[in-house]
Amino acid sequence: MLFEIKNLVVHYEGAEVVKGISLEVDEGEVVTLIGSNGAGKTTTLRVISGLKSPTSGEIWFQGQRIDRQTPQSVVKVGIIHVPQSREIFPYMSVLENLRLGAFLRKDKDNVKKDLENLLENFPRLKQRSRQQAGTLSGGEQQILAIACALMANSKLLLLDEPSCGLSPIMVQEIGKIISDINRQRSTSILLIEQNVRLALKLAHRGYVLETGKIVLQGTAEELTRSEHIKKAYLGG
Amino acid sequence: MDASAWIQAIANGFALGWMYVLIALGLTLILSIMGILQLAHGEVYMIGAYVTYFLCVSLGVNLYVSMALSMIVMAVFGIILEKFLFRPAQRQVLPPIVISLGLTLILMSFAVTTFGLKEKSIPRLAEGSLMFFDSAVPKDRIIAVGFAVALLILVYLFLKRTKYGQAMIASAQSPEGALLRGINPNRMSSLAMAIGCALAAAGGTLAGSILMLNPSMGTFPLMKGLVIIVLGGMGSLLGAAVGGIILGLIDGILPVAFEPGIASVAPFIIVIIILLVKPQGLFGHE
Ligand SMILES: Nc1ncnc2c1ncn2[C@@H]1O[C@H](COP(=O)(O)OP(=O)(O)O)[C@@H](O)[C@H]1O
Ligand SMILES: [Mg+2]
Repeated sequence: MLFEIKNLVVHYEGAEVVKGISLEVDEGEVVTLIGSNGAGKTTTLRVISGLKSPTSGEIWFQGQRIDRQTPQSVVKVGIIHVPQSREIFPYMSVLENLRLGAFLRKDKDNVKKDLENLLENFPRLKQRSRQQAGTLSGGEQQILAIACALMANSKLLLLDEPSCGLSPIMVQEIGKIISDINRQRSTSILLIEQNVRLALKLAHRGYVLETGKIVLQGTAEELTRSEHIKKAYLGG
Repeated sequence: MDASAWIQAIANGFALGWMYVLIALGLTLILSIMGILQLAHGEVYMIGAYVTYFLCVSLGVNLYVSMALSMIVMAVFGIILEKFLFRPAQRQVLPPIVISLGLTLILMSFAVTTFGLKEKSIPRLAEGSLMFFDSAVPKDRIIAVGFAVALLILVYLFLKRTKYGQAMIASAQSPEGALLRGINPNRMSSLAMAIGCALAAAGGTLAGSILMLNPSMGTFPLMKGLVIIVLGGMGSLLGAAVGGIILGLIDGILPVAFEPGIASVAPFIIVIIILLVKPQGLFGHE
């Protein structure tokens, strides 16, 4: 197994917000974590990337325990987290942002090649490469955030609601980018989405998180057919 | 007033302005990366000047070598301060203020007990003057400005062209974004303090070679530095540079153009007017 969470418990100011969840992501898989607002999805990602300490539980990546590590060491082992707020650097150029995505990489020549390839694949970013990142549209900023994550050449991507706040056309484009990344680079992805329809289209498997507990899990087809999902998340 | 007095005033203002910029740039780096208003930065400037004095006058080391050594000593001092005093207090409101005010008193008392209250002087950077349109501008001011500008260009190139410089800018714009790309925030804070303190030591030395050294020489430049970062826009490096020059020119020209009473309050009035028109500062972001 590439990535595994075992019995993770997380507290915020005394309140238990993640109540002993376990989940797995295999090599080359897209796994989605579905759940309404406040279920604990973002908290789970923040614990994985080392931004927040868990109360108990274990996180394993490629046979190595990675819970309670600094964010730097999590990036180093090959996990990149793109938060919902995107956290690009608004007053730096698109190009500077992309270069910083490769901050920990030592293979300078490959970084240069990767950057060129990436710009070919993302013409929107190439057009605006000298522009300040903060002047991009919301959708372009999301694409930039994902592209920066790709520059790290990581094995597992953690995406927190990438389609949030975007126009329907942009949502389509982001969806295509995510599935391309998975197919072409065989990067594994743990995807959080409010847009459950999109999430189930992109994912191989999924987990449903409700108030800190996993209440349902299965393949994307199983979840799409589930009465519970239809009622609670697909509006009918 | 004749043309030569104006040229003198502008030359003085320019020289002063660049000293202010050296202080303000360090303050800005520390503020934007560590979130700390380093109120003892003026005392770092003062101690930097005394370190140069000690090396140059007491030990007889060459002035320029002394200045370089003082910058290195203060950079190391800055790294130690960051690690043991400021890091535990990061992203809090009151503790950094208390710590930096305490540090101000400690460094001042240290200077008083070690070097005494009597004013000291560092040798001039150069003797003689150059003529500009019939008025004499002392060479040492020209050299001081040259040094300050060269240092600022170096800092600019470091920030713009190197990986660690870019990481510093990134940390200032989004601390969490920097963390998520694998940038070590403690290392960025060390760098900010090292660069800030080295610039302050250079500023203290340059000012000390033009004026005099005394244990309270850092108070006034710190005030100027604080005004500059508000004027330039909190955390904007370009703002710190432009703000410093504007304030320096105001300080240089006003005493010539107006009587001393007006000249001493006018800078603040001008700054207040600028901020009324543009509350986020000249180059402020949000
Ligand atoms: N920084 C925080 N401080 C205190 N409580 C928090 C914080 N962040 C999240 N929470 C709480 O934790 C719970 C889970 O939040 P979150 O993980 O953001 O949910 P989701 O991403 O699924 O919408 C919520 O009840 C929220 O109020
Ligand atoms: Mg969330």
